[in-house]
Amino acid sequence: MDNIQYAILLVGAILCAYRAMVSKRILSATLYLAGISALVSTVIYKLGAMQVAVIELSVGAGLVTVLLVYALSVVGDDALDPSSIISKPMAFVVVALTISILGWMAYTRWAIVESTGSIVLADVLWQQRVLDVWIQIALIFSGVMGVLGLLSEQKPGQTGDVPL
Amino acid sequence: MNLTPLNIVFWGVAGLFGVGLYGLLITRNLIKVVMVLQILVKAVVLALVLGGKISGNLGLGQSIAATVIVVDTIVAVVGLALAVQVRRRFGTLDVSEIDTLRG
Amino acid sequence: MAGWLVVLVIGIPWLGALLVWLAADARPRLQHFIAVLFSVAAGIVSLVLFSYASSQAVLLVSFAPTFGDLTFVPDGLGVSLTAISAVIGSLAVLFSVNYMHAEKQLGRYYFLVLFFIGAMNGLVLSGNFLFIFFFWEITALCSYALISFHNDDPKAVAGGMKALIITQVGGVGLLTGALIAFVNTGSLQVSALFSQAAEIPLNVLSVIAFSFLIAAAAKSAQFPFHTWLPDAMEAPTPVSALIHAATMVNAGVYLLARFYPAFAPVPGWKTAVMLVGLISALTAALMACTTTDLKRTLAYSTVSQLGYMVYAIGVGSVTAAQFHLLSHSIFKALLFLSAGAIIHSIGTRDMLRMGGLSAKMPFIRNTFIVGALALMGLPILNGFWSKELILEMGFEHSPLWAYALMLLGAGLTAFYTFRMAWLVFFGEQRAQHEVHAAGVAMKISLGLLSFGAFTSWLVFGGLNNLLSRTLPFHKLEQESTLDVVQALLSAPTTWLALLTIFLGCGVFWFVRKKSTLAYKPSLVLDSSFGLESVNGWIVRSVQAFSKVFQITQTGQLNWNIFGIVGALLGILLVLWWGAS
Repeated sequence: MDNIQYAILLVGAILCAYRAMVSKRILSATLYLAGISALVSTVIYKLGAMQVAVIELSVGAGLVTVLLVYALSVVGDDALDPSSIISKPMAFVVVALTISILGWMAYTRWAIVESTGSIVLADVLWQQRVLDVWIQIALIFSGVMGVLGLLSEQKPGQTGDVPL
Repeated sequence: MNLTPLNIVFWGVAGLFGVGLYGLLITRNLIKVVMVLQILVKAVVLALVLGGKISGNLGLGQSIAATVIVVDTIVAVVGLALAVQVRRRFGTLDVSEIDTLRG
Repeated sequence: MAGWLVVLVIGIPWLGALLVWLAADARPRLQHFIAVLFSVAAGIVSLVLFSYASSQAVLLVSFAPTFGDLTFVPDGLGVSLTAISAVIGSLAVLFSVNYMHAEKQLGRYYFLVLFFIGAMNGLVLSGNFLFIFFFWEITALCSYALISFHNDDPKAVAGGMKALIITQVGGVGLLTGALIAFVNTGSLQVSALFSQAAEIPLNVLSVIAFSFLIAAAAKSAQFPFHTWLPDAMEAPTPVSALIHAATMVNAGVYLLARFYPAFAPVPGWKTAVMLVGLISALTAALMACTTTDLKRTLAYSTVSQLGYMVYAIGVGSVTAAQFHLLSHSIFKALLFLSAGAIIHSIGTRDMLRMGGLSAKMPFIRNTFIVGALALMGLPILNGFWSKELILEMGFEHSPLWAYALMLLGAGLTAFYTFRMAWLVFFGEQRAQHEVHAAGVAMKISLGLLSFGAFTSWLVFGGLNNLLSRTLPFHKLEQESTLDVVQALLSAPTTWLALLTIFLGCGVFWFVRKKSTLAYKPSLVLDSSFGLESVNGWIVRSVQAFSKVFQITQTGQLNWNIFGIVGALLGILLVLWWGAS
């Protein structure tokens, strides 16, 4: 039963990813992306990582979608994806080979270790991975700078600028 | 091969990652490049949680996954800001026309 | 304390480089000020470092377990070259305040100059191959970027490219030698090569030794790689002074001096070094006799004088080589900066369009002539003592024919130096110029360098003491200044050399009327005895090779990612193949 649930969720995610990739209209691709995020966060939730599932859902399906839609509204009519410059069969062969070798190497090597008691995320985050937290704080500042770049208006008279 | 949930998730990660990588190769619109990166990162987040589950230390896997989510969001923000600025300066979002680094 | 000084002497110029760059080109006065302040500070620190000279490592950077501990060692060779690079470098920067006052993109200029000085200090203070290679490559990069500073001039770009590619040949030599040494000693430390040199098989050691000789020859513009230095004359003149006197070309001589004790037992190595020096000294002196470009003549004289230093190392006298290096860097900086002042004043480098400038720029005439006399090797200037010391060492330790040829080189030096000074300052005036007066900053740095040209030989005893105290593997004798002065004045070789020098001057005096005749191109001398084609071939083939790979640089995101994924696939295939 569990198997079927996981399979449905993941096949759905991959299908969404495929649709997001091939759709010519980027706005609909954004919605598919939100769909992937929802499905993946459900899988994460089912694996037992509740906190990350919630973060993934709110950030991945919520915030990033809003950002994308906003960016699309700024660039307006350019929201179309032209056809690829690399021939698709070649790209497919390279990616398929890479993924299958990588997957095979990882798959034949894993060994499942039983969980040693319950580990609380907060403990790990604040005691073992304090550096990560600091890095995240620094990153969020750069994110703020990025938002400013996104929102900044075009200054009149800048050379080389093309009006939207 | 006996199918356990973890096996299925593993192949799901591989599939998502493959689609993301393939998309990165064929996508020409800069905003869509940012979106395809999001697909890749979703695969990575899932892989990290799965790794935590497999190695019996889900807390560690989760905390790194949380960091990756933050990093990825920042990447999306900065990437979109760059895309908007590129649209202003070059008048296009097509990466094949933005080739000022050509040797 | 000494560790901090090492950090400062590298860090101050680099910090200054960053600040100059941040100061932005809109504020040139601030940029001049920062550049002078930081370069002078580095010069002062480099002088303070003298009192902390030792053969022990003072700064330790741990790269364990892969590379072990990597060190900086402020021994005699290191601190003396640091002082040369930082002090002469600061005088060149001071000179630039006047010389570059109307130039655009000062930020780029000063950034590279200060970066260059810091890298040179790092290069000579490094006690391990990794850092030596690292700083070595930075100096190559800076010299390329500075030679091509006027990047809208195709000649400057071509000259810079040539310098970069030829010195990279040297970089490859250095890397090869260093890697072989690392494999055989198991340590990146230079001292490990010295202490274990006897245990390395002789054929392996000779490969290392000759790789380093190639590296030194390419860096110091010695035969057969000497053609890049004259082409580097498109650089702004203070940069030429920097490259010729303070930083770049000294690195090759430094490399030979540093590794002399390890390589001296290799059969044929000392002879090869001696021959490289001899051929460079003679051919460059011959070419200097025919050129009409003022800076080009000086460039050939640099190759020739570096040939003397390399020859001195070849005959086994590291002290004489270092002494001449000190003298040369002072008088060559003086000559280049004087030449820069002349060029800045009248706006041409062609000596046929000068002449009779003596009365118009008396100060620069005086400093230039001081430099010229030192270059000729006339007493009591510093060039006299160091060149006589090299010739005497050559007389004692090398075959008589080699000594005779070096003596001939000294005569040629006198000939072309006299010719150069004559063409610029004396004779009739061949073209009308509006002469601009030299600036105050120019006069200060020229005055200090002239003072140095008169007095720097007095430090011989101190330098010798420093080298013999802190270089345990070189086994140098202790001599005081007085000993050397007495020995030189009583040696017949000195008087023979002086006679040759006067002979060279006398020969020019009789042909001086012909020296201004239209220059007849000579195929042999113009092509650097055919080596121009060899060097040109190296440059062209490297560029053609690069051209092939240019098609991979599409600049398109998709292809770049395709390259990354393709590389990942390649690595995975190799791993898979290795695992199965």
